[in-house]
Amino acid sequence: MAIAIFFIAAALTLAGAVGVIASRQPLRSVLSLVVVMLGLSVLFLLLSAQFVFVVQVIVYAGAVMVLFLFVIALLGPAREIARGKLRFQSWLSALFVLALLGLMWTMLQGIQFRQPDQGVDLSFFGTVQSIAVGLFTTYLYPFELTSLLLLTAAIGAIYLSRKRIDE
Amino acid sequence: MGALSIGGSQLDASWFLLLAAVLFIMGAAGVLIRRNPLVILICIELMLNAVNLTLITFSRQLENMEGQLFALMSMTVAAAEAVVGLAILVDIFHVRDVEDVDELSEMKG
Repeated sequence: MAIAIFFIAAALTLAGAVGVIASRQPLRSVLSLVVVMLGLSVLFLLLSAQFVFVVQVIVYAGAVMVLFLFVIALLGPAREIARGKLRFQSWLSALFVLALLGLMWTMLQGIQFRQPDQGVDLSFFGTVQSIAVGLFTTYLYPFELTSLLLLTAAIGAIYLSRKRIDE
Repeated sequence: MGALSIGGSQLDASWFLLLAAVLFIMGAAGVLIRRNPLVILICIELMLNAVNLTLITFSRQLENMEGQLFALMSMTVAAAEAVVGLAILVDIFHVRDVEDVDELSEMKG
């Protein structure tokens, strides 16, 4: 049953990823990315990450992707020319992708999993409580830093989209 | 040791890792091939999602919560970076229509 769910979600994710890189229109790319994120959230739930599953759906698919859609609506239909300035770009890209595939394959072949940590209470794994315990005790400093990062990003976005007087 | 017992069935962590690697490579291929800067940003988000899947897979395999916490941090950083990148893009498009990302080369040389 879990194997079936895994393969369905994985197939959905891969189909979405193909749609992301192969769509001529950016709108279709964004919608395919939403499909990818929903498929990934199912995989997260399968891996006992309940809180990350919800955050992925609400924040990533529900806010960041909506932001992309707003930008596409703002920019209008896109024209993408077929060939750019770099000659043999598609061949060089294919070469690089094959090299990366080979590298990933060898890394996955030689992978050695180590034993899981001992003495972990698995009934609390992935729950909101365990996330909160980690985030507010051990990793409080990175948590505060991300809040600072979000503030900086918001200020940057507001500044970049200000109304220019001389236009 | 990579075997995961999920819902009574036996899955393997390397399946998830292979899927994440394939997604990452597809995102990298998209960044290399596509010319529209918005689509390049979307493919970068795809790569970030693939990394999140890897983090959560290892978190489950090692039964350690740090992977999920790091994935949450990664999502936050991705959201912030998407915001700033899109703001810059909208700013550029305000002035001129960009068809090819290579034509944004005023700072070259």
